Amino acid sequence: MKKYSIVFLLIYTINLQAQHHDIDTNSFMNRTEFRIAYSGTILWSNGISIGAEYSWKDIEKSKERRGTNRTNTHQFLFNGNLGFATNFASKTDTGGFANFGITWRRTNKKGKQFSIDLNPLGYYRSFLPETYEVNGDNVDKVFLPGRGYYSPSLSVGIGKQRKGKVRSGSYFNITYNPRFNYNAGTLPTFSLQYGFRFNFKNKK
Amino acid sequence: MKQFNNTFLKIAFAAIIVSLVVACSNDYDLNSLDETLFVRHKNADMPAYIKGNASEKVFLITLHGGPGGTGLGFTGTAFNTIENQYAVVYFDQRGSGNSQGHYSEEEVTIDIMAEDVLALVKVLKHKFGNDSQFFLLGGSWGGTLGTATLLEDQSDFKGWIEVDGANNPAGLYDLYIETFTTTANTQIALGNSVDFWENLLQLVSQVDPINNANDFDKLNREAFKAEEKLVDDDFIDSVENGIESNNTFFVYNFLTTGWNNSQIASILVDDQGLFQTLDFTSRLQEITIPSLFISGKYDMVVPIASAQAAFENIGSTSKELLIFEKSGHAPMFSEPDRFATEVLQFIDVHK
Repeated sequence: MKKYSIVFLLIYTINLQAQHHDIDTNSFMNRTEFRIAYSGTILWSNGISIGAEYSWKDIEKSKERRGTNRTNTHQFLFNGNLGFATNFASKTDTGGFANFGITWRRTNKKGKQFSIDLNPLGYYRSFLPETYEVNGDNVDKVFLPGRGYYSPSLSVGIGKQRKGKVRSGSYFNITYNPRFNYNAGTLPTFSLQYGFRFNFKNKK
Repeated sequence: MKQFNNTFLKIAFAAIIVSLVVACSNDYDLNSLDETLFVRHKNADMPAYIKGNASEKVFLITLHGGPGGTGLGFTGTAFNTIENQYAVVYFDQRGSGNSQGHYSEEEVTIDIMAEDVLALVKVLKHKFGNDSQFFLLGGSWGGTLGTATLLEDQSDFKGWIEVDGANNPAGLYDLYIETFTTTANTQIALGNSVDFWENLLQLVSQVDPINNANDFDKLNREAFKAEEKLVDDDFIDSVENGIESNNTFFVYNFLTTGWNNSQIASILVDDQGLFQTLDFTSRLQEITIPSLFISGKYDMVVPIASAQAAFENIGSTSKELLIFEKSGHAPMFSEPDRFATEVLQFIDVHK
């Protein structure tokens, strides 16, 4: 499963590059935002995640409500994230992660946003301290100890858009990412992300 | 300004290099160890937290309860005192605490978990030298696992300390019925928490006389409630005397340990039915190393009769049974000073 995940991630990255050449550079950069966020559970893990999102489709929907015309923007975006988190109280829960997928986001006239990220391609790699492997009577120190897990994610969040600004928005997500196969089953994990989005094509 | 920036960058660079070198250093002080290492064995990575004074290379390996507890769950006043004299190894068992790995349910058996403990001993010898000495301490389920470990290979251990351990998990069912009945009648006669004890007697009269998982669960849950009543009525000293759970709160992610606990308990208890089938009583003769049994007088979870049976059947010529008069299922917390004194004395004599 790990091998397939890596192949998928590579193909996905190549696809994004291919799209880059189909449209003009400015347009691609305008449609791309970078993001950086705190990522963790506050109590047991704290870390950082960085990522990018490419706006694939923008759809404007208008509707009448209480006599006024309201227009909401619905976006579908491709997103990719890299992150790292650790538990400062122990050396036993440190790891890095990468995930890729699609985001649906609704933005209202005031810039308030609601989004759902579904990232089926995800990988978590734990980093363990000094580790020794025992096989029969042999004991060997493990180089770069840790384990990899398939770890897709589902995030639900809110945010605020800052139209035309370099720091183009902020967001708060609650993320569920299970780790397969963890021990003899699947470990469900939850984390919070609070961060900012940047669009470097914006002038302010 | 440019000069200042250059100086600042140099200092920052030097600080990062020093931090990395210090972080990568494996130096440790045997007089006050605080090391965490992982044991990788049969597709599981299990942390061992090694704390205390290892100047004599005497290590007390502890096996937590559960199944599905946490290694550092023992920490508190008693073990702090023990750490002053000897090193204590707190071990998260397979599928418990902060252990991780990839393995099938077939690789979760008490035999493999016993091999994990022996693998830990091999790692400690590899790291600290073959002249290291080991004592094994198991609490509750850890008593079951410790017994399984010693039956697999006791040659590396200088002594065995069983604290409220269950050598005969399958026999607990009958002990619950017997102990609950006796204790409830005594407490009702004394006028203590009468409603609770009457309800417990009613439950005892309703459960199937033949050991089964559903009724075992009910009785086991009631055992913990019964101890709370005995604390309220001053028969058991509160565990608050010696517990240190606030120090481990940030070490174990509540959700991770909770999930691991439910998984491992489900495999060992529900699927494999250990509490209906496992009984080491007939094999205790094979254990010949010095042994100390500690039991709380009012232990409702693993009643005192279990320790008495283990004491009578163990093959050791050097053995002792200690009853802690003001304790239930956690004498290391209810009577921490006496607990530390007895454990240290046992190690002093047999090291």
